[in-house]
Amino acid sequence: MHEMSLVCSLLDIVEEYAGRHGFSRVKSIRLSCGSLAGVEEKALRFAFEVASKGTRAEGASLELEVLPIVLRCLACGAEGVSEDFPSACRACGSSETVLAGGTEELRCEDLEVDEVERPCA
Amino acid sequence: MPVINVVRQVLDSNDRIAGGNRALFDEKGIYVMNLMSSPGAGKTTLVEKTIDALKGRYRIAVIEGDIQSTHDAERVARHGVPVVQINTGGGCHIDANMVREALPGLPLDEVDVLINENVGNLVCPAEFTIGENDKVMILSTPEGADKPSKYPLMFHESSVMIINKIDLLPYVEFDIVKAKADALACNPELVIIEVSCRTGQGLDAWVEWLTTRVETFRKGRA
Ligand SMILES: Nc1nc2c(ncn2[C@@H]2O[C@H](COP(=O)(O)OP(=O)(O)O)[C@@H](O)[C@H]2O)c(=O)[nH]1
Ligand SMILES: [Mg+2]
Ligand SMILES: [Zn+2]
Repeated sequence: MHEMSLVCSLLDIVEEYAGRHGFSRVKSIRLSCGSLAGVEEKALRFAFEVASKGTRAEGASLELEVLPIVLRCLACGAEGVSEDFPSACRACGSSETVLAGGTEELRCEDLEVDEVERPCA
Repeated sequence: MPVINVVRQVLDSNDRIAGGNRALFDEKGIYVMNLMSSPGAGKTTLVEKTIDALKGRYRIAVIEGDIQSTHDAERVARHGVPVVQINTGGGCHIDANMVREALPGLPLDEVDVLINENVGNLVCPAEFTIGENDKVMILSTPEGADKPSKYPLMFHESSVMIINKIDLLPYVEFDIVKAKADALACNPELVIIEVSCRTGQGLDAWVEWLTTRVETFRKGRA
């Protein structure tokens, strides 16, 4: 699954930052992605558990913030969060809505680590 | 406990490699297409038809990533163009690194158009750019019209959606109006072309779209 590719790239990022800042363990990793980004949270967690074994991120907790679907209405211009896609505009009922949020790629926001040798590297 | 701010796309490294591929394609003047769909929607068939229609005009090469059928690369090679098969090792998409590793197998100095047939999958390929000019997706009528609402990302990322197998419209339940409306809601700029690779209907419109894209790319470089 592509979750494995995502996790491998994530572990590369962890190593890159470990080299830069000098930490030995990661306690938690904060991630975000759009709810329509095709990231399966369960598969992601499982892939992380498997792939992080023996790395400095082993045992770290993953916090995934799922960003909502946002629709923009072509009829009235309203933009707002929606439960579903596709769906009608909440403000005016028009079905002429386009996706304005919810497809954001998986992003690594920050890492909580044990101690940092070079905080501002 | 200290927190290190990262704020980076996890697929950043894929994007960087894709950027490297793109730079190479630009240097060589190669227009690159990333062809995606569910298994069996007609990717390989469209590749074959496209080669036949354009091979007098452009030098075409193909990277074959589809693992649904081992015959795809052979089918394409029979049309007289260079083909490299990517082994995704069971993976559900091709990524920028796989394409980079496949490139030495192609005579890049003698290629105008490079077609990448992605793995049959409507989800994962949409996330991995490979350095393409356009993502092209196929939706085939037997798949049903609910695909854009179920898998919006691919529709969001694609430049064009080909609705294939329209010869089957009388026999399958496919609400083409809904499919188009939902696809456009994912991406208002999406170009939609209805074709049948079986009867040939609509293929001229597809070939015209592609030719225009290739020519625009070439003019931009000149
Ligand atoms: N009826 C019909 N069948 C098609 C059409 N295009 C492709 N097919 C058939 O669909 C099947 C899968 O096509 P293929 O190109 O291998 O799909 P891929 O898995 O996406 O590469 C083959 O049996 C094709 O002959 C079409 O326009 N109409
Ligand atoms: Mg195929
Ligand atoms: Zn509205």
